[in-house]
Amino acid sequence: MPKVQSINQNLLPDALPNFRNLGATLRIVLLVNGIAMLAALLQANSFQDGIQRFVDGSAFLQPVLLSNLLLLYILNDLLLRLPYWHGFAAVLFIVGLVSLAIYQLMGDLYGPAMANVSFHVWRTFILSSSLAALLLVYFKLRAMSLSTALHDARLQALQARIRPHFLFNSINAVLSIVRADPKRAESALEDMADLFRMAMADSHELVPLRREIELSRQYLSLEKLRLGERLRENWQIDEAVNEALVPPLMLQPLLENAVYHGIEPLAEGGKIDVTLLRTGNELHMEVRNPCHSQQGEHNGNKMALENIRERLALQFDVEAKYTVESGNDFYRVHIQLPFIKEEANE
Amino acid sequence: MNNIDLPLTVYVVDDEAPARHRIRELLGDCNAQLALELVGEASNGREALDQLATLHADVVLVDIRMPEMDGLELAQHLNKLERPPVIVFTTAYDNYAIQAFELHAIDYLLKPIRLGRLFEALTRARSAVPVKSEVLQELIPEARKNLSIQERGKILLIPVESVLYLRAELKYITVRTVEREYLVEEPLGSLEKEFANRFVRIHRNCLVAKEEIESFEKAGVEGADLHWTVKLRGLEERLPISRRQQFIVKEFKKH
Repeated sequence: MPKVQSINQNLLPDALPNFRNLGATLRIVLLVNGIAMLAALLQANSFQDGIQRFVDGSAFLQPVLLSNLLLLYILNDLLLRLPYWHGFAAVLFIVGLVSLAIYQLMGDLYGPAMANVSFHVWRTFILSSSLAALLLVYFKLRAMSLSTALHDARLQALQARIRPHFLFNSINAVLSIVRADPKRAESALEDMADLFRMAMADSHELVPLRREIELSRQYLSLEKLRLGERLRENWQIDEAVNEALVPPLMLQPLLENAVYHGIEPLAEGGKIDVTLLRTGNELHMEVRNPCHSQQGEHNGNKMALENIRERLALQFDVEAKYTVESGNDFYRVHIQLPFIKEEANE
Repeated sequence: MNNIDLPLTVYVVDDEAPARHRIRELLGDCNAQLALELVGEASNGREALDQLATLHADVVLVDIRMPEMDGLELAQHLNKLERPPVIVFTTAYDNYAIQAFELHAIDYLLKPIRLGRLFEALTRARSAVPVKSEVLQELIPEARKNLSIQERGKILLIPVESVLYLRAELKYITVRTVEREYLVEEPLGSLEKEFANRFVRIHRNCLVAKEEIESFEKAGVEGADLHWTVKLRGLEERLPISRRQQFIVKEFKKH
């Protein structure tokens, strides 16, 4: 397996935000403009005046903001490779310099030249770097609170009620073939070991989708051991997704959910459709299963799905979408996330 | 119960073939120390009810989580047999049910089943008495999908979805479907509680299926005692609404 580094927005508390993430960029734009508005209000003597000041300020602020975001977007990979505090300092320095440069280049536009040049230069530098520092602290705090959530999420997934059900039923199924078909029992136990190793791994890193597919197939073969003909599967895998990276344990819980709520309650069983494809810069994962019309929502179900939704939100912010469609006799979960190529960080 | 010299007859219900296979193996292992005979097995509740109508089993091992009819419902229907079997529940994981079993001292086996535990349960079963239906009903978190009656030795299932009304008459409850009437022996009050989603009370002695209400009609002699009646889909009969339950007419018209 190639060494894979996460390039997500908020996976580790000690990481700069991913400046290429739409969510992070949006947050920066909104926060900076919010602060500018407050600053304008502070100086104003009427609302009218406040708005005027904000608009005036924007003439300087927006070019500075956009140039900074552009530069950070370009330097993103470099910055993320630095140790956190170096990266932190580098961002402050870059932001200060860019602001200063724009101030110098377009200085005349923003007011008549004044005697006290050095004050204005320093003010621009201090204000812009401080604002950048404030934002970085915000992202750090956010990442810290989210990383606890991420940790909890993994525990939750493990403890979700659906797991013990699978564990004990599978052990039971393996026991039932131990005497008659020891070879098959062996490989079933190996599959189980893989699954639980993956579930218990404390890894925040992205994993190749290939690996997730393999794991999911192992899982389904375990379930087939006990459900037999009742469980049928249909995979549609786009060639292009083979080199994709995804957060661990996204696909398998979806399948577990489909088996528990879709297939098991049906005496005649049914077919699970898994579709994995790439469109442009997006990766789509879809799991569709038949379901009994009057199925009550199960607690474990909600927890497993809620957990996936949360992890997607934490890791990709607005760049990932999670949708559930529940029809009369089918249930479909669709996940859309940014397509990340395996060698992205090599 | 049985003559002690006869082998204990055992029946297995589980929707998963490997789980049944495993129990078969374990029963084989038990056979050395305890005379027993596996008389049959089924992959769902309906099949089990059909077979057990003609085939007696002393003990039925019932999986709790099965499609269509869960083990707890099956146990209630089995209780209507002339010689109800002792039921031992099996489950891989079900916190809720296990707590309830402990509370009511109902025997259960956790999957994967240990030989020793199975042996104990079967030994105990010789002297055990079937669990009362009322207790089982309390255990069930959800309403049954079928009512059941015993008719000529067989257990008949009446899907609750097909029931139009339930009416208390002396000792029995009349269960009315489009085709015919059945008599069951269960208190109307507990049926009302269990199937609150489907039925509404229109009279001290009568529950009707909400979805099947076609219309409300005034009945009675002009000027004298006018009262509302309910007309249900597929039935000619008009069912009177008691004075105290008149408010449901208004409630339904709102929807």
